[in-house]
Amino acid sequence: MGCPYLEYRRESGDLAFDRERAYCTAADRFVQPMRADICNDRYDLVHSDHCEIYREHAVGATEPADSAEEADE
Amino acid sequence: MSYEDYLSGEPVIVTAALTGGVHGKEANPNLPETPEEIGRAAAAVEAAGASVVHLHAREPNGERSFATERFQAIDDEVRRRADDVIVQHSTGGTAAPNADRHLPLRTDPPPEMASLDMGPLNRYDHLTSENTRALVDSLHEEMRDRGIKPELEVFNDGHLNEVHGLLERRDLVEPVYATLIFGGGTLTRPRPRNLFNAVSNLPEGAKFNTLGFGPHQLPFATLAVLLGGHVRVGLEDNVYYRKGELAESNAQLVERVVRVAEELGREVATPAQTREILGL
Repeated sequence: MGCPYLEYRRESGDLAFDRERAYCTAADRFVQPMRADICNDRYDLVHSDHCEIYREHAVGATEPADSAEEADE
Repeated sequence: MSYEDYLSGEPVIVTAALTGGVHGKEANPNLPETPEEIGRAAAAVEAAGASVVHLHAREPNGERSFATERFQAIDDEVRRRADDVIVQHSTGGTAAPNADRHLPLRTDPPPEMASLDMGPLNRYDHLTSENTRALVDSLHEEMRDRGIKPELEVFNDGHLNEVHGLLERRDLVEPVYATLIFGGGTLTRPRPRNLFNAVSNLPEGAKFNTLGFGPHQLPFATLAVLLGGHVRVGLEDNVYYRKGELAESNAQLVERVVRVAEELGREVATPAQTREILGL
């Protein structure tokens, strides 16, 4: 299961694409292709451990980080 | 290679890194991602003076791919649209499994060249490309078996030690060709003295290529021209033409560095000259 803040969108603001691309709703921006591996928990990557944006957002949210991870499972 | 090589006038090899695997159209909508876009870009940079195209593969949605099939689709488009450009595949891939790193070498025909990262490097807080010696040796072995020229990617001075170590462990086909890379993080700090130092620490007879990330692309290319080296530019390494102005295309970046080289007295190598210089 990937990051709960990940969405696939074709457009945001001034940017529009022919195909849906990874979008981080925590950072409100499209995700770099390499970082999408973290968002999607590909290879040995885990968004809750390896994405500083997720971790910062989870800590800053009202829900504690552990709860956010549990909701993701 | 040295300033004396600049004075002797060896043609300069221009490599265009068209797409990369780190950023995509979210950074610059002009960055090519699909096989057709990359094929068109290859033809355009060849017309502008590049003789080598450094290629990464993408999934249809722009995310990274290491699949042989995706590289094959790109190569087919490049060879269909460009005249004689030399195809160089990346084998790099932060956090990607070692087995996947071999996949770009298995197209038919194989690429004439492929990158070989010489050691570990970090990106962001938790992404590391380990590039163990075992992986370096394994990739080199497959390149050797398939007749692919390795482009030794040197991201910092420690990797220079690894170049010498690789030469002790393995019998590389001459000339050794190393790309000296400068930027932030675990890369060598982009300062001219560090390029001079790196060049002086290369193995005897080695030829070098240089790239600087972001705003360092043009100055480091210029320094390489003056030091008798070769240059790499492109949207993989730098999405801007100048501060605050996104580059229109890879060809725009190639055109600029070709102008610089020619103004400084270096002829730009054709693909045939590049094959001769690098022993392809």
